[in-house]
Amino acid sequence: MLKDKYPDRIEAIFAKYPDKRSAVMPLLYLAQEEYGYITPEAYREIGEMIGVDPTQVQSIAGFYTMFREEPKGKYWIQVCTDLPCALRGADEFYQALLEELNVEDGGTTEDGLFTVEQVMCLAACDKAPMLQCNFHYHENLDMDIMRELIAEWRAKAQAEADTDDTAEEA
Amino acid sequence: MTETVTLHIDGVSYEVPAGMNLVDAARVYAGVEIPVFCYHPKLEPVGMCRMCLVDIGFEMRDRESGELLLNEDGTPQIRWGRKLETACTTTVRAGMHVRTMTEPVQEARKDVLEFLLSSHPLDCPICDKGGECPLQSLTMRHGPATSRMVLEDKMHLAKHVPLGDLIYLDRERCIQCARCIRFQDEIVGDDVLAFHERGRRLQIVTISDPPFDTYFSGNTTDICPVGALTTADFRFGARPWELQDVPSICPHCPVGCNIVASTRLDRDAGGVKVIKRILPRQNEAVNEIWICDKGRFGHHHSLSPDRLAAPLIRKNGELVEASWDEAIQAAAEGLQAAGKNVGVIAGPMLSNEDLWGLRELAEGLGSKRLGLWPASLGDAKPLDEVGVASGTNFAALGKGDAVLVIATDLEEEAPIWYLRVKQAADRGAALIVANTRTTKLDHYAAQTLRFAVGGAADVLNGLTAAAIGQKWIAEDLIESRVSGFGDLQKALKNVSGGDEDAAEVLARAENLVIVAGNDGLDAEGHTALLQAAANFLIVTGHVGRAHNGLLPVWPGANTQGALDLGYESADTRRMLSRTPRALLVAGADIAADPAGAKALQKADFVVCMTLFPDATAEAADVVLPIQSTTERDGTFTNAERRVQRFYTAHGPLGESLSAWEAAALLGQHFGLPAPRYNPALVMKAIAAAVKPYADISFPALTAAEVQMPPIGEAKGFYGGTARPPIGGTGIQLPARSEGRGKLHVKPVDAPGAFEVGEDELLVVPVRRLYDRTPEFASSKLMHDRIPQPFVALNEADAARLGVASGDTVEVSADGAAVTVTAVVDDYAPQGVAFLPLRLSADPFPMIPVTGTVTRVAEALPVGD
Ligand code: SF4
Ligand code: SF4
Ligand code: FES
Ligand code: FES
Repeated sequence: MLKDKYPDRIEAIFAKYPDKRSAVMPLLYLAQEEYGYITPEAYREIGEMIGVDPTQVQSIAGFYTMFREEPKGKYWIQVCTDLPCALRGADEFYQALLEELNVEDGGTTEDGLFTVEQVMCLAACDKAPMLQCNFHYHENLDMDIMRELIAEWRAKAQAEADTDDTAEEA
Repeated sequence: MTETVTLHIDGVSYEVPAGMNLVDAARVYAGVEIPVFCYHPKLEPVGMCRMCLVDIGFEMRDRESGELLLNEDGTPQIRWGRKLETACTTTVRAGMHVRTMTEPVQEARKDVLEFLLSSHPLDCPICDKGGECPLQSLTMRHGPATSRMVLEDKMHLAKHVPLGDLIYLDRERCIQCARCIRFQDEIVGDDVLAFHERGRRLQIVTISDPPFDTYFSGNTTDICPVGALTTADFRFGARPWELQDVPSICPHCPVGCNIVASTRLDRDAGGVKVIKRILPRQNEAVNEIWICDKGRFGHHHSLSPDRLAAPLIRKNGELVEASWDEAIQAAAEGLQAAGKNVGVIAGPMLSNEDLWGLRELAEGLGSKRLGLWPASLGDAKPLDEVGVASGTNFAALGKGDAVLVIATDLEEEAPIWYLRVKQAADRGAALIVANTRTTKLDHYAAQTLRFAVGGAADVLNGLTAAAIGQKWIAEDLIESRVSGFGDLQKALKNVSGGDEDAAEVLARAENLVIVAGNDGLDAEGHTALLQAAANFLIVTGHVGRAHNGLLPVWPGANTQGALDLGYESADTRRMLSRTPRALLVAGADIAADPAGAKALQKADFVVCMTLFPDATAEAADVVLPIQSTTERDGTFTNAERRVQRFYTAHGPLGESLSAWEAAALLGQHFGLPAPRYNPALVMKAIAAAVKPYADISFPALTAAEVQMPPIGEAKGFYGGTARPPIGGTGIQLPARSEGRGKLHVKPVDAPGAFEVGEDELLVVPVRRLYDRTPEFASSKLMHDRIPQPFVALNEADAARLGVASGDTVEVSADGAAVTVTAVVDDYAPQGVAFLPLRLSADPFPMIPVTGTVTRVAEALPVGD
């Protein structure tokens, strides 16, 4: 339960708004952080906290692409393929990326590291092709840069896994 | 009069009320149909679908002189908008010109339709809405004949998504107009539906618990402009054009919603006419365009196989089938033997004509006793004077007005009033809800008042005392017309504790309606409440004019008619305590109350007229099968005293007859004339004998008031499939206070709250909308919605009794006992156990009684 685990953070979030229901977005972020994606349970938890029907919470999560309602990989790559980006080759770039990672559109790699999906305009049209990974922007991309990035992320994940293992052994 | 402005549509000018919605103004005043999908006259406009795009312009004026600028031909110069605008979000203003037929407008319509149809399944041939579908009609009228859509790109979505037990969603058909969402949100106040995702993936969802199961869910299928929402009752049941709509009145509660029964000859029913569905019939004064799910889905009693199809007579202790002749003969002999010592008890689902027929019979038998069922109602006399005045309409209440709802759970007892009162509160009317417990309406109340079970009249006495004390009273009226004020004032002198805030709001409201039930009251408490309410209304001047007065929440559809025709609950009580030798019980399952059951045993001879072979029939000597509302013509008088007519929708079940006809057949054995030819003639007799009904006749009742906005109008279905007011909108009988005569107030001897000893429990019966009476439970699709029999206990009491939630308990009182499930929460006040009526088959007292609750079995462990 978010309420039990993060009472302080939740209180701080509520403090920012005159009305509890206005806190729905930060709470959805919190839930996504905690569970990796927005679980059906999370809608109920949040609905209860802010006094709104869970259906309405789900509706909000469903509207925004920054909330994911299914499990996702450690790196959540969202590539803009909206019209301006498409004009600068975003579609080809996206296809190449899928091939590179060997995943389907919207899918997650077998090792659970990467989830790749298309999204609408991220307001960086002039720097296309572009993507955001876990909400960080990467712009003016091509596949060479992309391969480097992927290698970097893989290495980082490996390093983290190693520290975890050491921690467990210790 | 509202201010009007000149509106020019396609070059013709019309006078229309200023500020009216352009779509409505065009339709109503100019007969111009601006096509819409998302707009609905009962919902806030949202401008989502773009179907209503029109060209809007304004007359140009000289900046300095303010003079109209004219063209050479003398017509005003018009500055047209640079783009098309949505008519549904536009209100009319002076100097507004609208073009609805220009090429850009027609192009826009075509484009919107092409777009909407890009992923539509086009399964009209198997769609429930086909034939009365706005998408279909508007596509035929305005749409493109072909689509540029690439077929492979069509979205395919789920087609049978249950949103609850009663409503199914076809995601492919949905055009995302949000009418269903907005209905739940704005009208019902239960926002369990929402959009999910966006763009072409936008879908209606619900993850609420419980899901989409409000009492009003069926209305969404009427207003959905496509076949995306269908009911479990009607889906794939018939095509609209095969159906014949017969105007009727819902028989389930005192609101008296206007409905139609859509009928058809049905193969599955052996080729006879059956009801395929119930739809609302527009009556802005009664139910607008809504009905509740009980009215919509609870119609299956009329042709239920469980009904009694032929008369029964008792032979050698057994009830056996008989012919009408034999049965009437047997009944006549039995009644004759009782001499004049016969009592009639009638239920509230009988028509006025039935009640009159029974009254004539009783008189023919030499009996004066006309009992009304249930036996727990108080003296209704004050209502003749202060009942809501003619023209009263909840829709007219708003800022400055007030509504007091007392001793009733309106959502359970009169659902459409619940909706309408809620909306009055949304418009700014001050709503005060006074009850023994929380009800859903509390949520919309400006203030809630609590009283101990039985103490409803004290609340009103307190309010009246406060109003008199603070001089929030109608002094002129009191001076000129009120008798008994001095006594009342004296009696209330020492009454204190009335809530002053509430008293002020109510007393000083421009208009005030008091909606009073009999929840948790016995006859004495109910009598006191009605008189106390009348006192408050008269003293504060809220009588005799539209939108003011007392509205009783009666237990049945025609309780008011029965009262008007001389039936009284008090008579029933007398008969229960001193049982006459013979009883004639019609449309009342009196065996459901132990006192009634006892009377049935005590009487030497019992004739029972009934739809179903219920426990009362079981105890009778002669049982006569009578007809439901949809099998014949007749009238009901709703609690607002609106006499409304219903019509024959299908043939009678088996050999059943109208109760009035059965009564007349019996009467012939007692020197009464032969049965009248039809119910219209019975009404004629009523009109001749009962003063308030003097102007009522079947022909007069066919008149329909103009409905605004005209939603039921068949063309275009812009407001959904609610039907027009065919068959008449009824006639409201005036209250006596509308005349000039004296108004009577009198001190009320309030019995106060029921006393309960330390270790005792007061078992309080409450009415629930969905119960197990055969009139409702014979609609099988509602079974899962009817709660299992339960009793609501307070935590403290439960702890004392060693009862936990979910335990099976026996509730007993007055020698009666029912076995039910315990629900333990803070719903019931301490010392009180709420027991919903008619959820279990066993008889139980219908008024509060002290009783006991004992555990029979532990709750089954809840498996996860
Ligand atoms: S289901 Fe019907 S009413 Fe609801 S949004 Fe879709 S089309 Fe509109
Ligand atoms: S509110 Fe009452 S009258 Fe109207 S449909 Fe429901 S049960 Fe029938
Ligand atoms: S279109 Fe891709 S960022 Fe704007
Ligand atoms: S935008 Fe006006 S009807 Fe939908």
